Amino acid sequence: MKIIACYSNKGGVGKTATSVNLAYISAMSGYRTLLCDLDPQGASGFYFRVKPSKKLPHNTFFDDVGKLVSAIRASDYEKLDLLPANLTYRDFDIFLSRMKNKRSRLKKALKAVDSDYQVIILDCPPNISLLSENVFKAADKIVVPVIPSTLSVRTLAQLHTFFKDNNYQVKKILPFFSMVQQSKKLHRETMVALQKEYKSLLEDYIPFSTDVEKMGVHRAPVLTYAGKDQASIAYRTIWSDIEKKAKIKK
Amino acid sequence: MEPFVYFLPSTLSLRKLRQHLPLEPHYQVILEQGEMQGAELLDTFDNGLFQAARLLFQVDRQLLLLDLQTGQLFEQAAPAGRPAIGDMAKGPVVDMLLEVSRLRSLLPVVGIRMRRDEGRVLDDEGKTLVRFYHLTIGRGRRKFMGMGCAQYLRGYSEAYSDLWQWLENCGAMACQNAGDIYSGLGIALRQYCVKPELELLPQTPVKESVTAILGTFLKIGRQNEQGVIADIDTEFLHDYRVCFRKVRSVLSLCTGVFDAKDSARLKEHLAAIMRTTNGLRDLDVYLLNRAEYYRLVPPSAHAGLQILFDSFAQKRKGEQKKVSSAMQSKGYLRSMENLEKIFAVSDNIKSGPQAEVSSLTFARRLILKRYRKVCKTGRDLDETTPDQVIHQLRIHCKKLRYLMEFFAPLFPSGEIKKLIRSLKLLQDNLGNFNDYSVQQQFLEKMLASDIASGTKAMVVAHSIGALTAMLHQLQGHERKQIIENLAGFDSLDIRDSFKELFLTEEGADEDNSLLQ
Repeated sequence: MKIIACYSNKGGVGKTATSVNLAYISAMSGYRTLLCDLDPQGASGFYFRVKPSKKLPHNTFFDDVGKLVSAIRASDYEKLDLLPANLTYRDFDIFLSRMKNKRSRLKKALKAVDSDYQVIILDCPPNISLLSENVFKAADKIVVPVIPSTLSVRTLAQLHTFFKDNNYQVKKILPFFSMVQQSKKLHRETMVALQKEYKSLLEDYIPFSTDVEKMGVHRAPVLTYAGKDQASIAYRTIWSDIEKKAKIKK
Repeated sequence: MEPFVYFLPSTLSLRKLRQHLPLEPHYQVILEQGEMQGAELLDTFDNGLFQAARLLFQVDRQLLLLDLQTGQLFEQAAPAGRPAIGDMAKGPVVDMLLEVSRLRSLLPVVGIRMRRDEGRVLDDEGKTLVRFYHLTIGRGRRKFMGMGCAQYLRGYSEAYSDLWQWLENCGAMACQNAGDIYSGLGIALRQYCVKPELELLPQTPVKESVTAILGTFLKIGRQNEQGVIADIDTEFLHDYRVCFRKVRSVLSLCTGVFDAKDSARLKEHLAAIMRTTNGLRDLDVYLLNRAEYYRLVPPSAHAGLQILFDSFAQKRKGEQKKVSSAMQSKGYLRSMENLEKIFAVSDNIKSGPQAEVSSLTFARRLILKRYRKVCKTGRDLDETTPDQVIHQLRIHCKKLRYLMEFFAPLFPSGEIKKLIRSLKLLQDNLGNFNDYSVQQQFLEKMLASDIASGTKAMVVAHSIGALTAMLHQLQGHERKQIIENLAGFDSLDIRDSFKELFLTEEGADEDNSLLQ
């Protein structure tokens, strides 16, 4: 089982869209896939029409394996299941801070579904918190969408510093450009600059796409209704890159 | 959660299903109707798919397999013609078929009309909660019936239970074997089993029992004739020969039951019939093992093999024609009718001195005698024993197996099966030993053929030499296994079981050496 986290400490960079589409491609590639929505807003679940899990408060998430497993829902797509979020996830950090081994609880909880899935994709909330640290520990790779703008670049640098300062494995971080508008000079220049700085940057990027924006209307991955859109094609390339780098095998 | 595989004696419509929907929670049901098409239900000659609870349909150029145990549907393109399953292009349907048979071909059972509908139950946000498919099937003027399967989706057990309930309210019944469908469509299952369960009584005079055994195997053997003539698959000739070999074995093993002269005449007659098919069966075996021979020789020898197998395939055509016309000849048909008459009633053959002995006494005596022969031959076995003796042992074992199987209905089923199983282990080793012999003979034949001449002669001869050495080595290993397994078969435990089942009270252990 490989755990791929989709994470950024900045909001609005396309994390959920990335999680949803990568999870869909993973399942279509034949991997039994679980998309785990850790963001209390529950947007991943919304895109798949899966209602929030009422019965999974934070204490049971980390403590009661049976409840965690029973909260999993099949999506409308073969081999793709979802662990929907709920609002009690807001208090994850308070709860985690009171626990022993507070940075490895997520890894332990996900072990419960180890035999059911080949790929787990984590859709993470945008902050650096105890939950994020659990993610950093549990994940095999952390894909980070970066809008080629000043703020996003700054947060990517912050993330690297945090990893180094806290002895997390920097090589887990796989940044890629998201919501790219080639018409903008700033985007083009930032991309060139960052490509020099971060060798682990994925080659392809996700262009800004109105089809991706419409995911909320269709309530489905963009690939299901706009498979030929540039963003859809880019998500496929990015997935196959992640597949190789994370050594995901059938 | 288990899928709900169901059989519905009537048709299913969305209207009917909706009538059974509860008001709360609010469900939406979608049923996408397929097209009604002509189709064929297929199975192997020996009902392999029926026995495995699988239904195979050919709709247009597509194969559709339904596994009644799991409710899963598998699809792939249908092959041209009717090749053996092992020769069909790999795919999800063929994977399932291979679990049933590699050598059999698929035959049409019956023509039907069918439609495939795909259904979904959704919640108020359009999320799919349960999926199901439904097949509507009809045959001739019979009314249409249906079958299908509801698949549970993780996390939506409530909707799944609800759909199960609605389907049951519509008349659906759980279905796990193909019998419901066959009877629903009025299909009579073909009666064919190469290992029939005979009904024998212990006190019946052995002549009657033996005649019943002969009659049964002759009949089963003859069921294969049309398949051999039409060259449907190689299993027809295989089963045909198994049955006729059994008939011959019964005649030669059960000495004293029939008049010796009559018995010898019948045996010779049967041997002549078998001889006609020897060439074809040998070629079948070589051709079926083609891939294995390719695997055994280095790639440099493949070109040679290709030439050899092409010539085998060519020869096979001739042999098949020969067998086919022999089986359709008046002489053959007359002799078969004659044999059927002879084996119909025990009075039709002259009795031998043992004819009136009870079946049980006779069987016990014969089986013990053969067991003794196996053990005696086996005890002298070591690494220097000539191959010929091992082949002899193989034949003793085969005869013992036949006897135990023929007379099995006279003994407690569990115990005799246990002994047959232990014998089978030994036979497997002996079979491998024999295969290595046959393969070496094959290579010799290859060396003597045209492919070993010309420019490639040295290369081919070299690889054949290496391969023969390897096979010889494997054969040596198998010999060791045989000695080990023989020790088990000649063990105190097995000996006691044989004694318990087959030793008669009247002291049949005449020379007192039987089980020491």
